[in-house]
Amino acid sequence: MSPRSAVVLRDVRKSFPLGDGGSLEVLKVEQLALPAASCVVLRGRSGSGKTTLLNLIAGVALPSAGTIEVDDTDVVALSEARRDRFRARHIGYVFQSFNLLAAFSALENVVLAMSFADVVPKRLQRQRAGELLARLGLAERLAHKPQQLSRGEQQRVAIARALANNPPIILADEPCASLDTATAGEVMAAFLAVCRQDGKTLLLVSHEEAALGDADQVIDMATLNLAETGKATTTASP
Amino acid sequence: MTILTIALKYLRGRLLASALTAVSIALGVGLAIASILIASAIKEGFVAGATDYNLVVGAKGSPTQLVLAVVFRMDVATPNIEYTIYQELKEDPRVAVAVPVMVGDAYQGFRYVATNTAYFAAFPWRRKTYSLSSGRLFGDDPVDSPAYEAVLGAEAASRTGLRLGDRFYEGEEMADHPLIAVGILRPTHSADDRAIFISLSSFWGMNELAHAMVVKPLTAVLVRPKRLTDLPGLHREHNVVPETQAVLPSGVLLTIFNMMAVAQEALTMILTIVGVIVLLYVFVALYSATIERRREIATMRALGARRTTVLAIVLVESGMLAATGGFGGILAGHAAAYLAATVLAQTSGLVIQPFRFDAVQPAVLTGVILLGTLAGLLPALLAYRTEVAENLAPLS
Repeated sequence: MSPRSAVVLRDVRKSFPLGDGGSLEVLKVEQLALPAASCVVLRGRSGSGKTTLLNLIAGVALPSAGTIEVDDTDVVALSEARRDRFRARHIGYVFQSFNLLAAFSALENVVLAMSFADVVPKRLQRQRAGELLARLGLAERLAHKPQQLSRGEQQRVAIARALANNPPIILADEPCASLDTATAGEVMAAFLAVCRQDGKTLLLVSHEEAALGDADQVIDMATLNLAETGKATTTASP
Repeated sequence: MTILTIALKYLRGRLLASALTAVSIALGVGLAIASILIASAIKEGFVAGATDYNLVVGAKGSPTQLVLAVVFRMDVATPNIEYTIYQELKEDPRVAVAVPVMVGDAYQGFRYVATNTAYFAAFPWRRKTYSLSSGRLFGDDPVDSPAYEAVLGAEAASRTGLRLGDRFYEGEEMADHPLIAVGILRPTHSADDRAIFISLSSFWGMNELAHAMVVKPLTAVLVRPKRLTDLPGLHREHNVVPETQAVLPSGVLLTIFNMMAVAQEALTMILTIVGVIVLLYVFVALYSATIERRREIATMRALGARRTTVLAIVLVESGMLAATGGFGGILAGHAAAYLAATVLAQTSGLVIQPFRFDAVQPAVLTGVILLGTLAGLLPALLAYRTEVAENLAPLS
């Protein structure tokens, strides 16, 4: 019996309109299935559509065609408000540039994510945020603002924020790309450990050795993205 | 974390910019509130301080100057009339009460007002009442033996520090005839609070020119006719002769109010312009703040915040800025009105009460919050329309 798929993409295409009326197809994926509770690493050269793919799965961008099922829900078919709520509850997103909110402390950045999902009861939100940050080695940094934290610490806060609502799926877009090698190794190890322990489905864009070595599956965008291989490129307007 | 706390965090995150925006709103609102309070208080001050007499008879000249000088002591005194005019009016069968008034120099800025005891008398038709907080009134002393007694208005007494029994004068030429404080009046909330009342005989005795004159001078006579139907006749008779003019104080008040209305119109225009500038400032501040944090807005959206949530955050921010500025402005406006009232009271005879709490304050605060929130509408829509994927691109 094959494992349940947490994410399934079928015939997904993403095109962007061009100024001359034509369009540029940047992503074309015929079939992609991510097994639940697995760690899948996505790699490929810059501009190969990795971030676009993550945005489509997260539902922050919509495909031009195709279906995307996340946790057995067709996110494309959902209304925008439902998709926002679904994303808050089912998907944790870790960004390459951390994207922490400067006016909020480490703890508040994590609590903020919970306030959009209504999964964790309000009275438990600060406690849970504190526990998550402590788990990632930031117990002494709860009240610090992002600018008072090192880059490695900032990314740990971003990871805690992605885990805040206990979503089954975590998307991470080169989470350690802007960290030095030693810090990147530490952060990645902590991140993978937490995801493994909690049984998350992790789709990770990374070139880190630690990630590649620990992955259940490594997907190369050069083979996944048919638009990338030249089978589909720009289309002229009629 | 609620929308309110998120908005508050953002405002505190850019504390200086938020404070400056709130201060600019407060300045605009304060200016408007102070203007409204002072303008209405000045009107009320004129009405409350106006004499209960129907007619003021004085020398030919500006009617407004006569009333301002005799009733409010805000202008230089008009030329003198003869005391005989008072005597004629007193004997006139149509006149119920006639009171002579001589406005003179000042002691430490507080005008000498020479009159007789009728000035303080209680009549059934009088709104203003005079009562002593201490001492007694001066008597109607004869011309050839003045008593040089003074009754001090409440503020004149408190600000000069004079007490009963004190002798005082200003200028060496007055040293021969020092006045003695015999009474202090309770506050009347009119120009009389700043007056030093003396008898006509005392005034004429102190003033060298008046002392030498056979027919003694007066500034004006306050007249109350027995019947209002006699008023037009008295008014006309004292206007057709070359020596005097008769003025209806209510008419002068109307002239003053008309002049104020022109100033108020100009002020309203200025306040409107100030309001528009403040709104533009709020708009620009919020718009640039929203532009600056489009990445953060996109991040919140990626974390699951709805478009309406980020719209509401910006609207609440502008509403809170407006509420803070509006509330601060109302306080500042009252403080400014209080200062203006103090200055007016010290420099003129107009006593105003600027601390009036009625529908104006809640109406202004509600209006400011609505307009402030409206100024945040475009920035809020910008936040609402922020493209998530576009603004999440990694920083180079």
